[in-house]
Amino acid sequence: MFQPNYGPEPETAMIVTQELSKYYKHLVALEGLTLKVQPGEIFGLLGPNGAGKTTTIKILTTLARPSRGWARIQGYDVVRQPLEVKRLIGVCPQEVNLDKEMTAYENLSIYGKLYRVPDLKPRIREMLALGELSARARDLVKDFSGGMQRRLLILRALMSRPRLLFLDEPTVGLDPQVRRQLWDLIGQLRAEGITIMLTTHYIEEAEILCDRVGILSRGRLIALDTPQALTAQIGGYVLESLNNGRRQYLLVKDKEEAYLQARGQEAGVIIRQTNLEDVFIQLTGERLQAGD
Amino acid sequence: MNWYPIFLREILLFGRRLLRLGYVISALLMPLLYLMAFGLGLGNRVAIDGSSYLDYLLPGLIAMSSMINSYTWIANGLTMGRLYFHTFQIYIQAPVSPAAIVWGQVMSGIVRGLFSSLILLGLGFILGSGLELNLIFVIALLVNCLLFSAFGVVVGMKSRSHEDTAIFTNFFIMPMAFFCGTFFPIEQMPWILGLIIHALPLTHTNRLLRTPTLTLETMGSLAVLGAFSILCLGLGVIFIRRYSE
Repeated sequence: MFQPNYGPEPETAMIVTQELSKYYKHLVALEGLTLKVQPGEIFGLLGPNGAGKTTTIKILTTLARPSRGWARIQGYDVVRQPLEVKRLIGVCPQEVNLDKEMTAYENLSIYGKLYRVPDLKPRIREMLALGELSARARDLVKDFSGGMQRRLLILRALMSRPRLLFLDEPTVGLDPQVRRQLWDLIGQLRAEGITIMLTTHYIEEAEILCDRVGILSRGRLIALDTPQALTAQIGGYVLESLNNGRRQYLLVKDKEEAYLQARGQEAGVIIRQTNLEDVFIQLTGERLQAGD
Repeated sequence: MNWYPIFLREILLFGRRLLRLGYVISALLMPLLYLMAFGLGLGNRVAIDGSSYLDYLLPGLIAMSSMINSYTWIANGLTMGRLYFHTFQIYIQAPVSPAAIVWGQVMSGIVRGLFSSLILLGLGFILGSGLELNLIFVIALLVNCLLFSAFGVVVGMKSRSHEDTAIFTNFFIMPMAFFCGTFFPIEQMPWILGLIIHALPLTHTNRLLRTPTLTLETMGSLAVLGAFSILCLGLGVIFIRRYSE
């Protein structure tokens, strides 16, 4: 049976969940999620659409009540102590829920007031500078590009100086260049010691950004470890080949074994290092993404 | 209670839309049409209780317009913000109480209701209305805006689609607009209908706006409006506290 690797035993974990589950009538959105996230960690929830990633974030950010199990943020129960939890977190949702009829400055200002940010104006200026949006502060958000809106969404979540930041699919729908800009921004937040839980279905994103990754499939956590440990578990290399129009994968221990196996193949093969998608295929028999 | 940012956001959005002339006209089109058509058309030919029809109609239109503007913006805004734009989720995830969310919304609804009322009052005076304003009138108008803003919160939290909001509007708001004494005295209605009409809050707003004096009857009407307001505010807080996606 799968045993999650919790990482080093902490004095105080930032997130702890126990048997966390969410059911919608006959649909199991999340089933028995048990995990711990340490302070300062970037923790990724990886999985295809409908795997339970956003449901997990909704429960942890007090937007949805669990059907079973419990979750705590720095010791505060998300159901019984929602106000204490909300003071600790910042949320960047999957949907761009900015007020597009308002300026970037106004969006940050309203959010800052909701959180009673004491040094509101300097903090807004600081955030706009961090996201390289100072020159567009007084422009309406509806005139921003998709990448700028995403940046503003993250900046808004940072306004209250959260100790824990939730990023739900932060780069979905963005072109590769803008995605990398956002990765740089997330990298800066890591340097500041902010704990981050992010969901993604982009393999590269999870591998580059996350200290540990939990893989979700159909509402269940099926693997939990560092990206390196997860890929090492299935072998270091993979041979990809086409057989009667179907893509086949052969996992091997190292490059030498890969070359040996490739010699026996009639059609052309690709030899590459294993990634988290291979882990997902190995565990579920399904692909994680359709080719982003 | 940190309700001010919620109020401020709603008012900022309201201000942006006010800058669009089309929005103002469409929001006030119906009461303005009634005022122009009935007020000018019948104003000098029909008299009710010894006053011109325009003087009778104007308080009714103010009650109706403040009800519609307070209610519609809040109900539609919450429904759309919750289901389509996901802007409502910002409030739920922020460290503000359900009561603060309700009160911020309601205060912004009151501003919108008062805004439409002021335009109608101004137009009525231009058309020659002799309507007299006093404290009871202002209190009744404020409570009316509060009540229907709070009702907007209730509807906005319970609607499962934009169409649901329209159903609430068609079954609750529109019948009140027409039957609660806006255009004609309710004493002329069949008694069974009169009973129902007396149970509806807009009837009591109309009574207070037309006879803004402290009598046993008007105090009763104020109590009815107050009770409805407390009920809607309470339900709004409960629905937001229980909110879960």
